[in-house]
Amino acid sequence: MGEPPKNTASANRRFDTVLIANRGEIALRIQRACRELGLKAVTICSEADRQAPFGKTADSVLCIGPANAAKSYLNKDAIILAAELTGAGAIHPGYGFLSESAAFSEAVEKAGLVFIGPDASSISTMGDKISAKRAMIAAGVPCVPGPQTALPDEPATVERTAQEIGYPVIIKAAGGGGGRGMRVVSEAGALHEAIALTREEARQAFGSPALYMEKFLQHPRHIEIQVLCDVHGNAIWLGHRDCSMQRRHQKVVEEAPAPGISPDLIGPVGLACVAACRQIGYRGVGTFEFLYEDGEFYFIEMNTRLQVEHPVTEMTSGIDIVHAQINAAQGIPLELRQDDIRCSGHSFECRINAEAPESFLPSAGTITELALPEGPGVRVDTHIHAGYRVSPYYDSLVAKLIVHAPTRAEAMARMREALAGTRVEGISTNLPFLRALFEDEAFARGETDIHYLEKWLKQRRAA
Amino acid sequence: MSTIDFSDPATIAALTEALTAAGVDGLEVSGPVGQLRLVVSKGEGPHIRLTGGIGANQAKAVTVKAPIAGCFCAIHPSVSEETETLPRRVSDKDVVGFIRIGSVLLPVPAGRSGLLARRLAEPGALVGFGDPLFEIEPQP
Repeated sequence: MGEPPKNTASANRRFDTVLIANRGEIALRIQRACRELGLKAVTICSEADRQAPFGKTADSVLCIGPANAAKSYLNKDAIILAAELTGAGAIHPGYGFLSESAAFSEAVEKAGLVFIGPDASSISTMGDKISAKRAMIAAGVPCVPGPQTALPDEPATVERTAQEIGYPVIIKAAGGGGGRGMRVVSEAGALHEAIALTREEARQAFGSPALYMEKFLQHPRHIEIQVLCDVHGNAIWLGHRDCSMQRRHQKVVEEAPAPGISPDLIGPVGLACVAACRQIGYRGVGTFEFLYEDGEFYFIEMNTRLQVEHPVTEMTSGIDIVHAQINAAQGIPLELRQDDIRCSGHSFECRINAEAPESFLPSAGTITELALPEGPGVRVDTHIHAGYRVSPYYDSLVAKLIVHAPTRAEAMARMREALAGTRVEGISTNLPFLRALFEDEAFARGETDIHYLEKWLKQRRAA
Repeated sequence: MSTIDFSDPATIAALTEALTAAGVDGLEVSGPVGQLRLVVSKGEGPHIRLTGGIGANQAKAVTVKAPIAGCFCAIHPSVSEETETLPRRVSDKDVVGFIRIGSVLLPVPAGRSGLLARRLAEPGALVGFGDPLFEIEPQP
C-alpha cells in the first residue's frame, strides 16, 4: 500500500465557533463537547423547535425555516447561510439529516467552512454500496459473498451469479440503506421478478436503478466497529458494538462490547477497518457495520458520521468521541495510538422513543412529568424536560439511557434499575417494552440475532 | 398558490362534514389574519361551535415576520433615515423592510394593508426565519 492520502485542505484549519446543524439530544451533546473544548456553539432551529432547550443553552440560536425538515434541517443553503451570519467556522451535522450528504460536505467546504465529518469523496465512496464493497475488499475487509459490481441486465448472467453465490440471495439497491430497497430471493424461480421490483423501487426511492446481489445470511448478528481518524493518516479503532436488537431495521438497544466475540476474532477485522480508512483518506469518526454469523464477519456498510449509539463506546473506551471528531476536523493530530485503547467493562444504551409501546405509533404531546435515573455508571442523553412538547415533525427519539458496569450481567442489572427509575408522563413511550426486554432470558444470555426482537414481539402479541 | 377561505360557510360546512366522518373532535387553523376553531360536539349529532374566525378577527393586529434568516434593515441602505416614520399607512405590496444576506438585500413586503404601527426588531439585528419585524393594525 502506498502513502495514505492526506486531507491537506483542512490540515491547518482552526475555528472557534461551531454551528450545529441538528436538533434534540445530539444538538445538546455537541454543545457540551464544544463548551469543553472552549468553542462557541451556535444552534439552528426550525419554527417548531423555537422553544426547545437546545436553543436556550447554545451561545446563540437562529431559526432558519419552518417545521418541515426539508425547509429547515435539510436546507443546505439556509444552514450555510446561518453559519456565515453567525460567524461560525465549522458545521457539525450530528446524525441523520445532512450528516451523510456528500453534496453538503462539499458545499460547506466550498463556502470556506469546515465540515465536521469526512470529505465529500469519502462519503460518496461509502454511500454507494458497490463502490464501498470494492474499497473494503481492496483493504482486506471481509465482505458478504457476491460480486463487487452492479447486477447486469442479462438474465442468464444474473442467474449464473445467483447460482455461484448460492440461494438464498439478497438483492439490494446500490444507493439504499436503512433496510429499504432490498429483497430476499430463496429460489431461482423468483429471481427475475424480485430484481425487476427492487430495481423499480431503487429508481424511485434512491434515484438510481443500480442493484447488487449478495449471499443472504439467515441468523446474523449486527456488529459495528468504531473508527477514529485524523487528517494526517493516523487511524485507530475504539472497540466493537452489538446492535442486533432491531425492530424494522431500527436499532432499539445497543451494547459494547459485542458479547461472546473474542478479541482474537475481531482484532484483525478492526485492523482491516483502520487500513481501509487510511486507504480512502478517511477523516473523523465512522462506523463499519458487519453481519456476523458462524464466526465470520461480513461488511455491510459504513456510516460516515457520528452514530446515535456512540455513547456505549465512550463508556467502555473512556474516549470522548465528539471531542475527537471536532479535534480531527481542526486538523489536530491524533495523539492516541492503537495500543493506548483499553476498553473495559460493559455498556448498554436504550433508545427511549415517544411511541406507543405496543403499536409503535409515534406519540406527540406535552411531557407533564419526568424522572430520570442517576447514579454511578448511569448517563442520560436527552433534550426533554417536564413541559417539553414532543413535536410530531421529527424522529421519536426523546432520550438515550446509557449504563456502564464491570460485567455484562451487572450492566443489565444497572439498566433494569435505570429503566425502573425512568418516568415520562403525558406521552406514550417504549419504556414498558424496554423493561420487558431486559427481563428476557435469551437476551440476558447474549448472542441474539437481528431477527430475535421481531420474533419476540410477535410471541408477546400472540400470548 | 391558492389559499382556502376559512370564512366561507361552504368551506366550514365541508370541513365539519369531514371531521365528523373521520371521528375528529375539532380543528384549529391559524392564518395571517386570524384563527378559526371548529369544535364538533358528540352529544346531539354534529354541532358546530365557531370561536373567533378569520372573518370575525379582522380587528386584530398582525405581525410581519422575517421570511429568511439575515440582518434586519428597517430601511433601504441608500435611503435617508427620515423616511422611516411610524405609524404610517401601507398597502399589502409595500416594502416595509429588508433582510440583508451578504451583499443581497431581500425586500420584506407588508403582506396586508393597514397601519404600520410598530417595529419589533432592532435595525442591524440578526433575525431568524419567522422572527417578528413589524406590527400592522387593520384600517377601516
